[in-house]
Amino acid sequence: MTGTVFDIKEFSLHDGPGARVTVFLKGCPLRCRWCHNPEGLSPKPQLMYKEAMCTRCGRCFEKCSHPECAPYGRCIKICPGNCLSVSGTEYTTEELASRLSAYAPFVNTNGGGITFSGGEPLMQDDFVCELADKIRQKTPMHLAVQTSGYADEEVFARVIDKMDYVMMDIKLADRDLHKKYTGVYNDKILRNFEYLKNSGKEYIIRIPLIPDITDTEENLKKISGIINDSPAELLSYNSLAPAKYDMLGMKYSLENKKNNKVDLGIFKNAKLS
Amino acid sequence: MSNNLLNYITSKQHHVYRHDCTIDFAAEFSAKKLSPVERMSERFVRLMAMETPVILPDEKICFLRTVKNIPDCFTEAEWSDIRNKHFIHESGYMSNLSPDYEKIISHGLLAFRDEADVYGKAAIDAIIDLADRYKTEAKKTGRDDIAQVLERVPCYGASSFREALQMFRIVHYSLWLEGNYHNTVGRFDRYMYPYFKADMDAGVIDEVSALELIEDFFISFNKDSDLYPGVQQGDNGQSMVLGGMDEDGNEVFSDLSRLCLEASRNLLLIDPKINLRVNRNTPIEIYELGSELTKAGLGFPQYSNDDVVVDGLTKLGYELADARNYAVAACWEFIIPHVGCDVANIGALSFPKIIDICLHKHLESCESFDEFMEKVRMECITECDEMCGKIKDLWFVPSPFMNVCMDCDIYTGGKYNNFGFHGTGIATATDSLAVIKKYVFGDKSVTKAQLIEAVDSDYEKHSELLAKFRYEAPKFGNNDNEADSLAVALLDIFADSLEGKTNCRGGKFRAGTGSAMFYLWHAAEIGASPDGRRKGEAFGTNFSASLFAKLNGPLSIISSFAKPHFDRAINGGPLTLEFHNSMFSDDDCIHKVAMLVKSYMDMGGHQLQLNAVNPEKMKDAQLHPENHRSLVVRIWGWSAYFVELDKEFQDHVMARAAYRV
Repeated sequence: MTGTVFDIKEFSLHDGPGARVTVFLKGCPLRCRWCHNPEGLSPKPQLMYKEAMCTRCGRCFEKCSHPECAPYGRCIKICPGNCLSVSGTEYTTEELASRLSAYAPFVNTNGGGITFSGGEPLMQDDFVCELADKIRQKTPMHLAVQTSGYADEEVFARVIDKMDYVMMDIKLADRDLHKKYTGVYNDKILRNFEYLKNSGKEYIIRIPLIPDITDTEENLKKISGIINDSPAELLSYNSLAPAKYDMLGMKYSLENKKNNKVDLGIFKNAKLS
Repeated sequence: MSNNLLNYITSKQHHVYRHDCTIDFAAEFSAKKLSPVERMSERFVRLMAMETPVILPDEKICFLRTVKNIPDCFTEAEWSDIRNKHFIHESGYMSNLSPDYEKIISHGLLAFRDEADVYGKAAIDAIIDLADRYKTEAKKTGRDDIAQVLERVPCYGASSFREALQMFRIVHYSLWLEGNYHNTVGRFDRYMYPYFKADMDAGVIDEVSALELIEDFFISFNKDSDLYPGVQQGDNGQSMVLGGMDEDGNEVFSDLSRLCLEASRNLLLIDPKINLRVNRNTPIEIYELGSELTKAGLGFPQYSNDDVVVDGLTKLGYELADARNYAVAACWEFIIPHVGCDVANIGALSFPKIIDICLHKHLESCESFDEFMEKVRMECITECDEMCGKIKDLWFVPSPFMNVCMDCDIYTGGKYNNFGFHGTGIATATDSLAVIKKYVFGDKSVTKAQLIEAVDSDYEKHSELLAKFRYEAPKFGNNDNEADSLAVALLDIFADSLEGKTNCRGGKFRAGTGSAMFYLWHAAEIGASPDGRRKGEAFGTNFSASLFAKLNGPLSIISSFAKPHFDRAINGGPLTLEFHNSMFSDDDCIHKVAMLVKSYMDMGGHQLQLNAVNPEKMKDAQLHPENHRSLVVRIWGWSAYFVELDKEFQDHVMARAAYRV
């Protein structure tokens, strides 16, 4: 079976223990206003355009016969400045597992592994499960997933059970605010958290600190109540607008904001990074 | 740390003590018909006499250059005569040596006076005379501590860590004033360790006061460095080597090594440039200390891998004990302290030029890619024959004091007299070959004529090939054997082309992976290349991927760049990588970066230069240099203040792709 990947990042530093390689799976059911991977939202391949480097030479509008260019109405293979690219590559589980197994010597000797991120990797649950099995058959590596936790319970359980380590977000405790800022209610997420807690898997809860949205005292206190002594990591906000928004012709509304001061003391088992 | 001294030096207040030397030595010496060695001796003695002792506020390690310039010893006509008769390397001095600091620090200059020739004696006397005047000045200004140190050094062997550091300073200072350049520091934590340990054991110093002394000493490398010659400010060769194994294979890294890394991190000065030797026994903690320093953004430490370097050097004929004692020359060339008189940067092969020649001369007639590679081999041999053949009757400006500091006669030759060649543009050449292999001989989607026309027209013709060659073709650095095997082959061919040759000093030739400034100069010699590089675009620096290659990431890069047979190409030249400074944000990141560096070594990499860069700051520094006086970047084998560089060097650093979080 095949899946759609928008990036494979070698030596990712913040995606789990040790030295890792992260596979970014395309497609996400959430629409968080602060999303830093906007090319991960749509499940389909998308054209990325680096406008700042474009010299308006017009070559990409000349007719070409490449089948891979057909969906975009312009030639994506001619730009001398490499301004056009497609985000989203289709892989079979076999191809991807082979490619990832090449990293085994490095990640295995450095306490690392492979991380599935996104997007929302649980949106391609069958693909991820088959991929995990194939990797374990070829060259066993430590496998981790980064998820919003937004999936049906059965899907969540099936994927989690294949993993060695789970990084799951809890963004907003309030059901309505969650809907307002991410586009979905958090019922499934909170239910899946209960599953995760009792799964016996090693995990960490990640709380993105978004100025005035998630980093309010009220929200953090409520999340602290939900996760109790579960290990957690609070992720400071990076105020730079991701350049990728421009490349996709999208707008980013949270530029130049700064985090409120966070009192780590309200958590039992959390670190700030 | 003495912040006062640091601020004093970085704000250049000490420049007020400088004066010009207006003597026309060349004319005078020429009229007197003095021999070259007489000239060098007399110039040194007179310059030393012109020096005025200056002791700066708070400094513990003294000696400051007050004579700004060193006028030439030879007239232009004489130089032209010398150049007609001889091969002259760079400006004629024997540079890139690693003097025997150990013997001088332990015995003192007087111990070598008797055995020195008349010029060596004169040099020693001149140095002692200046030291005496410093002593008088120290007493006069109430600096009894300095006067006391100078009671002992430089005449007699050092009896304390501080005396040993002062002795080094005096020797190094004198070597510069003699006119030598690229005066390296060598294995500092080896020859200084006995003094450090004795004082630590005796309680004369503790970690805090030792660190203060080291910082004071490190600042001394930056007092006169703007007066030292180099292609750009910063290219001065003050390379310090830390760690690694000793002659018997035992680990050298000590508390002293650790304090040196710490001092460098505290001071944030470009000198001394730190090289960290590592090997299979080096624990991850040492790589972490190195990565902490990398984070500081100074463009060092540069790592070299003992396991690979020692193996390569012994295969070239270096004795095992000497090979294990290797140091690093001005940039990255491997040299042997005390006894080695290698000229490690005597020339440079341009790999892309070889491909360019073969493209125009042979491609049309070749039936297969293998046949084309045979032509590459042939042209490389021809080019190397020519490069080697040009170097005969090599002549050096005599350096009487340098000769005292070595354990060999540098005029007649040391124990090792090998010549090293850099190899420039390996990725451009490799990627060009990959295009020829894949598209011309492989799927035949491009004809020979089309390729040549495209390259010759700078891709104005067949412009559809440009993006294909630049971004779609296999690239060295993607852990793709299609390309990587060609890089391996190119370096093998380079090594084969030099093998068995004897140079004019009886030594061999060494193939290397460095570039020096040739990544710009050689790039300017040719037009566009088959890898989609357009006319005027530079090569990658040293041993690195092409500037525009789309790469998978650092794991693929280190895997690719560990493949060549470095035991046959061991002149030096590091894999050069840039990481955005966000890659060093916390201890966990530092630990992971350290793992990556260690992995390159474990894979069999020979040398690595990892730089923490801040492209946003560089951009702003080009617009507002006044706000970024202290921004440091690594150029090829040395670090520099960004704002002091010519724009072409600034632009190249900015064009290198930085890996980000």
